[in-house]
Amino acid sequence: MHKWIGSGLGDAVPVGGSAVDEPRLAIQRQPSRAFLGGRFLWSIVPVSLVAVIGSVILLLSGNAWTPLEPIVVVEGKLASKSDYFLDDEVKRLLLKHRVRVRITRVGSRDIATSNLDPYDFVFPSGQPAADLIMARLKEQGRSPTTQKLFTSPIVLASYREYAESLQAAGIAVPVTDNAGPELYYRLDLKRFLQLVQDGRRWNSVGGMASANRVTAWTPDICRANSAATYMALVAFVRNGEEIPKNQRAAEELAATIKPLLGVIGLPPADLVEPYTSPEGRSRPIVVIYEHQYLSYQLRSKTHTGSVDADRVLLYPSVNFLTEPAFIPLTPAGERVGRLLVEDPDLRRRAIELGFRPIGESFADGGGPLQRHLDAQGVPRPPEAVHTGTTAHWPPFDTLERMITITGNCPSR
Amino acid sequence: MSRHGLRRCAAVLCALALTSACTPDVPEGPPLRILASADLADMQPILDDLRRETGMAVRVDYRPGVDTSPLPTGDQPYDLAWLSSDGYLQLVLNDRPAPAPVSTPIMLSPVVVGMTPEAATKLRRQAVGASLTWADVADGAAAGTLRLAMADPRGSGGALAALVGVATAAAGTGAALRPEDVTCDRLRGFFSGQTLSAPSSAALVDSFVARQDDVEALIGHESTLLSLNASGKLRRPLEIVYPADGIVQSEHPLVLLDQAERDRYDTVVSWLRSRTVQERISQRTLRRPVNPASRRDPRLTGSTGTALYFPDQREVVDTLLEKYADPKLRRPGRIIFVLDYSGSMRGARMSALRDAFAGLSGADRTHRGKFFRFYRGESFTVVQFGGRVLRERNFTVESHRDLDALRDFVATGQFDAHTAVWSALSHGYREAVESDGDRSVAVVLMTDGENNAGIGAEEFLRTVRRGGRSVPVFAVRYGEADPLELARVARATGGRMVDATRSSLLDAFKDIRGCH
Repeated sequence: MHKWIGSGLGDAVPVGGSAVDEPRLAIQRQPSRAFLGGRFLWSIVPVSLVAVIGSVILLLSGNAWTPLEPIVVVEGKLASKSDYFLDDEVKRLLLKHRVRVRITRVGSRDIATSNLDPYDFVFPSGQPAADLIMARLKEQGRSPTTQKLFTSPIVLASYREYAESLQAAGIAVPVTDNAGPELYYRLDLKRFLQLVQDGRRWNSVGGMASANRVTAWTPDICRANSAATYMALVAFVRNGEEIPKNQRAAEELAATIKPLLGVIGLPPADLVEPYTSPEGRSRPIVVIYEHQYLSYQLRSKTHTGSVDADRVLLYPSVNFLTEPAFIPLTPAGERVGRLLVEDPDLRRRAIELGFRPIGESFADGGGPLQRHLDAQGVPRPPEAVHTGTTAHWPPFDTLERMITITGNCPSR
Repeated sequence: MSRHGLRRCAAVLCALALTSACTPDVPEGPPLRILASADLADMQPILDDLRRETGMAVRVDYRPGVDTSPLPTGDQPYDLAWLSSDGYLQLVLNDRPAPAPVSTPIMLSPVVVGMTPEAATKLRRQAVGASLTWADVADGAAAGTLRLAMADPRGSGGALAALVGVATAAAGTGAALRPEDVTCDRLRGFFSGQTLSAPSSAALVDSFVARQDDVEALIGHESTLLSLNASGKLRRPLEIVYPADGIVQSEHPLVLLDQAERDRYDTVVSWLRSRTVQERISQRTLRRPVNPASRRDPRLTGSTGTALYFPDQREVVDTLLEKYADPKLRRPGRIIFVLDYSGSMRGARMSALRDAFAGLSGADRTHRGKFFRFYRGESFTVVQFGGRVLRERNFTVESHRDLDALRDFVATGQFDAHTAVWSALSHGYREAVESDGDRSVAVVLMTDGENNAGIGAEEFLRTVRRGGRSVPVFAVRYGEADPLELARVARATGGRMVDATRSSLLDAFKDIRGCH
C-alpha cells in the first residue's frame, strides 16, 4: 500500500486544497505489477540514479539521512487537517524519518463513507466521522488504536465591521485582551440564531449595506465536519441545550433547523482561502477551525509585521470539544501516528500551526500554544471551549440522520 | 519507460543546477483531454505555457453550454472539465449516488455590468441609492432607456451566473432561491431590455463591438469587460458597475472526470495555482487569483460587494432556464385589467388604485418596484365596469407617454351603482382568449364588493370550461369582496387570488407580476 519511490524531493499535491509552489520530481505511484514486467529493468537504473543523486542533494541541504534507505510514501485521506501535512516544515520533519505523506483531501464525512482500502491512515476532522469509520472497521473485525493529537474548535470567522454590528445589536461582546488589537468576540449563539430565524437582514443589524440575511456560511453538511459540527451546535442550542431524546425527536429537530442552515443555498467547496483573500468580505461570517485562523494570523505577522486586525473571530457561547482522531489502517499508518505523538519537533510544529495540544490549560498562565502566540505577538484566543457551555453530541446514528436531513444528503 | 527515465534524469540534473525555473517532471501519456467552457477560450495562451513549462500537453475543446449540460459519463472522451462554475454540475450530480468529482477553483471573476458612461450617469440620476443595483438595471431596461447585451445562459457560464444573480436580487429574500421564489417570472422587465445575445461571451463581445452605438450595457464577467476595454475595440471604454444588491462570482473550477488521471490533474492544478502562474493569469486575462498571496492587477481592486447565493435545488435553475428560453415569455406580455368602478370605489379606494398604477408605471422606487414595473412593449387593456362594462381602452407601452395615458385613463371614469363582477370578467376573459396566441396573457380582476348584477360565478366558469385557450385569472380582493368565491374562480382558471385588504393594491398587483 505504501510505495517505494526514488526520490525524497517530490511533493504531495493536495486535491482541492492549496497548491504547492515548487518544482516536483517524479513520484511514481508504482503499480506493484510493474515490478514483474520486463520493463522494470529498464526503469530501475535511472530511478536508482535519481535516488542516489536525490540523497546527495538532501545531504547537501542538511537533511541528512542514510543514503539508499528507501523513503516510504504513506497514503492518507484527510479533510481540514491536511493543512498540517501540507506544511513544508512538517514534510521536512517527516522526511527525516524517511516518511512522505501523500494526501487525498476530501470532506470528513466523505472519508467515512468512501473506500478506505488504498490508504494507510485516515484523519477526519472530528468525532462524528471518526465514529462512523470506527463502526465500519469494527464490522470488518478491525479495531485500530486511534491517536488524539491536538484539538481545535470550530469558530465563526468574520470581519471587524460585521462583528461590531453584532456587538451594537448586543449579540457579540469583545473579549478584552491585554495586548494587541481585539481579535476575539464572544457570540451569544442563541440570540444570533434568533436573528437568523427571524430572517433579519444585515442592513437592519447595525447598518451594514448588505441586504442578505444574517447567517453563517458553512461548507457542505453532507461532507465537512465543520459544517456538521455547526449543525449539531445549532440543533443543541435550538433544543434548549439538550440532545434530542430519541430518533423521532431528532428528525423533527433537524427539520426545524434546516431553514436556518439553508439560507446560503449551495455551499462553497472551501471557505478558508476565500476568507483570507481580498474578495472574502462578500461572505460576512464563515464557519472554520480556530487553527486555520491562528495560522493565518501567524503568517500575517511574519510577512507583514502585524496581525490582520480586520479579520476577527466570533467564539460561540456554546461549543463542542473537537478532537480529531488519527486512525491508522496499516503498520505504515501506525508508524506515522506514533511519530506525530512522540517526535517533539512534529508536536511543536502543530502548535506553530495554531493547533491546541490535547489538554492544554488556558487557565494557569497558558500552555504551549498560548506561549507561542505570545512570543509571536498574536493575541491569545479566549478559552472559548472551556468557559462557554460544552455541547453534547447525540449518538452517532442519530447525528447521521440529522446530517442527512439538514444537508439533503444523497443516499449512499 | 526508458524515455520516462531519461526525462527523470534531466529533471534531477536540473535540480542539481539548483535552478527553480527548470522543468518539473510530469506523468507521461497522450495529451490530457479537457472539455472547457467557451468562455475560457482566452486561457489558451496560458495552457500553451503549461506545455512549455511542464512538458505536459493538453488538448482543449472549448464549447458553449458546458456549464449547464450534465457532463459526459461512462465512455467519456474527456479527462478533465473546466467550467465557469460547477454549481449546476453539483446539483445534477446530487441526484446520483456516485461520489462528487474532485473539483478545484482556479481563478475568480465576478459577474458585473459594463455601461457606457452616459448610461451609467443617467441611471445613477434615477436611482435612489448612491450605488447602482441590478434593480436599477432592470428599471432602465423596462423603461427602454438601457439596452442590454447578455449571452445565452444555456451557453455561457457567466450568463448563467448573471441569470441566477438577477433572479436572486429580484426575489429579494436575502437568501438562496427556493422553488417557490421562481414560480413567477420576475425578470420580464429586465429581459425586455436584452437586445443583443450570443451563445458564448466571446461571440457576444464581437456583436457588442459591432453594435456599440445602439447598446448601452454589456453583462458578463469582470475579466471579459476589462479585457474588452483594454482591447481598443471600443470607441470609449465601458464603466464597470458592481451591483450593490449582490454579485455572483465564478470560481472557474477544474474538475477531474477520469479518476485514472489524478496525477496529471494534480500537476495541472498545482501549476495553475502556483503564485507566478496566478499572477500571469491575472495580468493577461484580468481574472482574480484564488491564491490570496498572489498580486492582483491594479484594475482588479473593485470590491465584489455582497455575494448572492447559488440555489441548492436543481429545479430552481431548471425553471429559470426554461423561462428564459420560452419564446412566449420573451415577447412582451399582455394583461387585461378588469377594474371595479362601482360607487364604493369612490374616494380613498380610487386614489389607491391610481397610486398602484402610478407605482407600476415607474413611480415605485423600491427595489422590488424596479423589477416589477410595467415594461416597454407590454400591452394592457383596461376594462372599467359597474353594472356593465363602462369604458374600455388598449395601451401598448412604447414610451412614458403611453404609461401616462394608461394612468390617466384609470384615474378618470364614472362610477356606477351596480357591480357585475362575473359579466365584466367574462367580457375581459373573452378578449384574452381571442388575443395573440404567441404572447403570454392574463386577466387581472380587481373588485371591492359583492356581485349584484349580471351572471353568476358558476356561469362564468362554464364559459371557461367550454374550452379554447386557457388564460389564468388573478383576482385582487379589495374592500368587501368575497375572498372565497374569488379564490375559487381564480384557481379554476389556473390563477390565484391575492388579498389587497391585507397589504395594499400596489403590493397585490406586484405579487402577481410575471405569474402567467
